[in-house]
Amino acid sequence: MPIQLNRIVGKEYPPFVVTVERGKIKEFARAIGDANPFYLDDDVGRASEWGDIVAPPTFAITFRDEDADTGALLRDLGTDVSRLLHGEQEFEIFRQLRPGETYLCRPKIVDQYEKAGKTGPMGFVVRETAVTDRDNEIVARMRSITVVRL
Amino acid sequence: MKHARIYFEDVQVGDDLPALVKGPIRQIQLTRYAGASGDFNPIHQDDEFAKAAGMGGVFAHGMLSMGFVAQAVTDWAGAGSVRKIGVRFTALVRLKDTVTCKGRVLAKSSKDDVHTVEVEIWAETQKGEKVVTGKATVALAPRT
Repeated sequence: MPIQLNRIVGKEYPPFVVTVERGKIKEFARAIGDANPFYLDDDVGRASEWGDIVAPPTFAITFRDEDADTGALLRDLGTDVSRLLHGEQEFEIFRQLRPGETYLCRPKIVDQYEKAGKTGPMGFVVRETAVTDRDNEIVARMRSITVVRL
Repeated sequence: MKHARIYFEDVQVGDDLPALVKGPIRQIQLTRYAGASGDFNPIHQDDEFAKAAGMGGVFAHGMLSMGFVAQAVTDWAGAGSVRKIGVRFTALVRLKDTVTCKGRVLAKSSKDDVHTVEVEIWAETQKGEKVVTGKATVALAPRT
């Protein structure tokens, strides 16, 4: 029997603050195996148009609410981690993410639907997270689609 | 040359991006990516958990493959050039798989002194199976 997901479209999760750490940018780039000096070399960063190293395009995926209950979304939906797949991911980058900068992240569920997949029914949950700076200017926007095997 | 600067005028619609070959994927890289990204879903670490979940064993984070295709784009267009990147995860990457990232220029446009290039991007395993497909938009400086 397929499971039934709860409908949570429009739900907003508590905004959370992140500060970009220099070492975290480098750790992330190295984990991907990307040795771009604009991510890894402080001297190259300092001499660049940004005045410091910058983060790789997918770095914002590391932004998470350390104080939040990580199971909240799963519980709200009524599922567990073993059923999840990552369906789609998008990043819009309006300004480069740099070490020492502090941002506010605001996640919101914007859509939810079901479709028949190759291996059975699938639930799709679309979440958008706006990333803004201290002046409330948008820095990046993330959109992710989580797939739940029902 | 890797990390060389390219200019808007150097790019033509239909150009292929240099292919970027990553892997073979090893468990240690998935563990490292979990630590770096904060995604500790055991499905990428624990073979028994992944089998019990009906996934046939451990597979790579989709975001790692997205990181690979993003690298293919920035190796070509430069760090800090990406304005937008979006992908769909179409198949699983398994341990020992090699992931080859490719891309092709779809369109160029200029507006208010901002020059952007849209590229189609994808990654495939050694079996030729596409694991990631998507698009990216990069901003490039003009030569003049």
